[in-house]
Amino acid sequence: MPLRVRLTLWYGTALALVLIIFSVVLYAITARSLRDTVDESLEDTAMTAVRSLEERGFLPLINEEELLSQFPELTRIDKFFQIFSPSGTITIRSPNIKQHEVPLSRTALDTAFAGQRIFESAKYPKEPPLRLISVPIMYRGNLLYIVQVGTSMESVGETLQRFLVLLVVAIPIALAVSLAGGWFLAGRALRPVDKITLAAQRIAAGDLSQRLSIPAAHDEIGRLAATFNNMIGRLDTSFRQIRQFTSDASHELRTPLTVMKGETDLVLRRPRSLDDYKLVLESNLEEIDRMTRIVDELLFLSRADMGEVRVESLPVAMESLVEDIHRQAKLLAQDRNIEVLLGTVMPVVVQGDDLRLRELLLNLVENAMKYSHPGGKVEISLLNDGREARLSVTDQGIGIAPADHKKIFQRFYRTDVARGHTKKGTGLGLAICAWIVELHKGRIEVKSDLGHGSAFTVVLPLVHPTA
Amino acid sequence: MRVLVIEDETKVGCFIKRALEEESYAVDLCEDGAKGLDMALATNYDLLVVDVMLPSMSGLDVLKNIRRERVHTPVLILSAQSQIDQRVKGLDAGADDYLTKPFAIDELLARVRALLRRGASESPGILQVDDLMLNPATRDVTRGGQRIDLTLKEYALLEYLMRHTGRVLTRPMISEHVWNQDFDTFTNVIDVYVNYLRNKIDRGRTKKLIHTIRGSGYMLKAD
Repeated sequence: MPLRVRLTLWYGTALALVLIIFSVVLYAITARSLRDTVDESLEDTAMTAVRSLEERGFLPLINEEELLSQFPELTRIDKFFQIFSPSGTITIRSPNIKQHEVPLSRTALDTAFAGQRIFESAKYPKEPPLRLISVPIMYRGNLLYIVQVGTSMESVGETLQRFLVLLVVAIPIALAVSLAGGWFLAGRALRPVDKITLAAQRIAAGDLSQRLSIPAAHDEIGRLAATFNNMIGRLDTSFRQIRQFTSDASHELRTPLTVMKGETDLVLRRPRSLDDYKLVLESNLEEIDRMTRIVDELLFLSRADMGEVRVESLPVAMESLVEDIHRQAKLLAQDRNIEVLLGTVMPVVVQGDDLRLRELLLNLVENAMKYSHPGGKVEISLLNDGREARLSVTDQGIGIAPADHKKIFQRFYRTDVARGHTKKGTGLGLAICAWIVELHKGRIEVKSDLGHGSAFTVVLPLVHPTA
Repeated sequence: MRVLVIEDETKVGCFIKRALEEESYAVDLCEDGAKGLDMALATNYDLLVVDVMLPSMSGLDVLKNIRRERVHTPVLILSAQSQIDQRVKGLDAGADDYLTKPFAIDELLARVRALLRRGASESPGILQVDDLMLNPATRDVTRGGQRIDLTLKEYALLEYLMRHTGRVLTRPMISEHVWNQDFDTFTNVIDVYVNYLRNKIDRGRTKKLIHTIRGSGYMLKAD
């Protein structure tokens, strides 16, 4: 069932219940207060009659003429009146109840003997009910008479009848009007939802550039639309990144393929010297190594993205790690005419994965060597300022323009200068470094100017900070 | 036919250059976008082979700049991007053809031939002057049905002469289109090669096709 129908139905049901309860209560109160008015008026009349009897020294009235001359209002009003003897027999009755006998009830008589007045209702077939009050007149503890005053409830009944008709007609009309209003309002409130649905369908069809128009009001729908837009925006960005990544990856893999295919194709076009074939095979081997490295690193990164790379979290003594890598780097640097130096190395213990940290430092040092000029120097240092460990690799190489400082950590990003300097990079090393640093809750800082060398500093939290 | 290859992957650039040179083209190689643009504007190349991803200036920007300077040299775009929108972008930027990496050398050469044919004239594949015939696809040269063997340079010179039949070709024009930028213009290499050609084509025949235009250069014509 559509939300609009459901809302309207719920609203209608609740309103109908409220209206019915309200009407029942109102009707009951009205009926009660009408009866109370009748009772009050009966009591007034009865007491007037009693007072008048008292003035006459409780002498019973002889006949109707005397009665009417004493109580002229009895001929005008709609009340009748009877005086009973203590035995319950009628002594006197007003002329306007000649049609029926209205006997004194047993209850009324008993109450009268107890010296109490009583209100009663009497019902007759095909007649409006009567309302009666019976008042005892006592003299020195003995019951002398019982004065009863009665009236027809006809007008009260009619009034209540009219009221009931009014309610029965008015409630459905009021209900119908409010249902229509509720239907309209629900429709109005839900229209933005329909719009969002349509837009979402368009977006689901693949157009991530679509956005919802956000309603001006800062209501629930507005917030929903804003949240939705936000989500689509993030989806859009990540899809774009994936597309960029895929296209970068395919480009990086196509380049070695192009070299291998082109060179092989060319050398096979005609008979060549043995040296020619050898050169092509050597070049192919280089390209195969390059592709292997790219594929390995890509695989590693994608497994890291999926959270499938196992990472230890143990205390690692960084100073010995730094010394190990320094030894390794010195070996690698030998045939490149680059000097790898060890700067200040302070004892530092961080929490993390020894293997990953080695990989991180080796990557940074290899980068530093890769982008150094022959005869250049690379320095590794490890500082402990009591709060953080600062592991730095400084070179005197080609440097990085400030605009590229952030971009170099993106996958496959290589600066033009770096591409020009060496063909060896895959563009993934620093992305892996950034991932390892993030894993250790650290950060990586770059200080570099184009042509003046670079300094990469990895800042890691200490296991036991002393400051 | 002189070709400029702008490609930053050294190995790719090298094998393209070598493949083209083996087909007797004169080839210059450049690894940088902006430098490549300067070269393309400074020299009257017959064809440009341009990679898309280049340092300092993308291949497409090089192409747009060349076209803005009203240089209509045919351009073959090389790219690792194979998506249709990338090809469309390249062709819309003013490229005449688009080749996706990796590619077969044969396809590259066939596309180069097709572009040169289109650039020079509306002529069919086979060039003919009187009874001298030259097939750029097979590089077969015959005169009166008799096969003539030529070296790469001789062939390149003959092709250039035959594509401009009836026109006076000065020595600078010949050097610009037949030799690459390493050529030293102050030598008499051109005259030497014209002589080699004469020996192979006109020697012993009554009808001479290669004519010396005194003071300016050479011309190939039937009468």
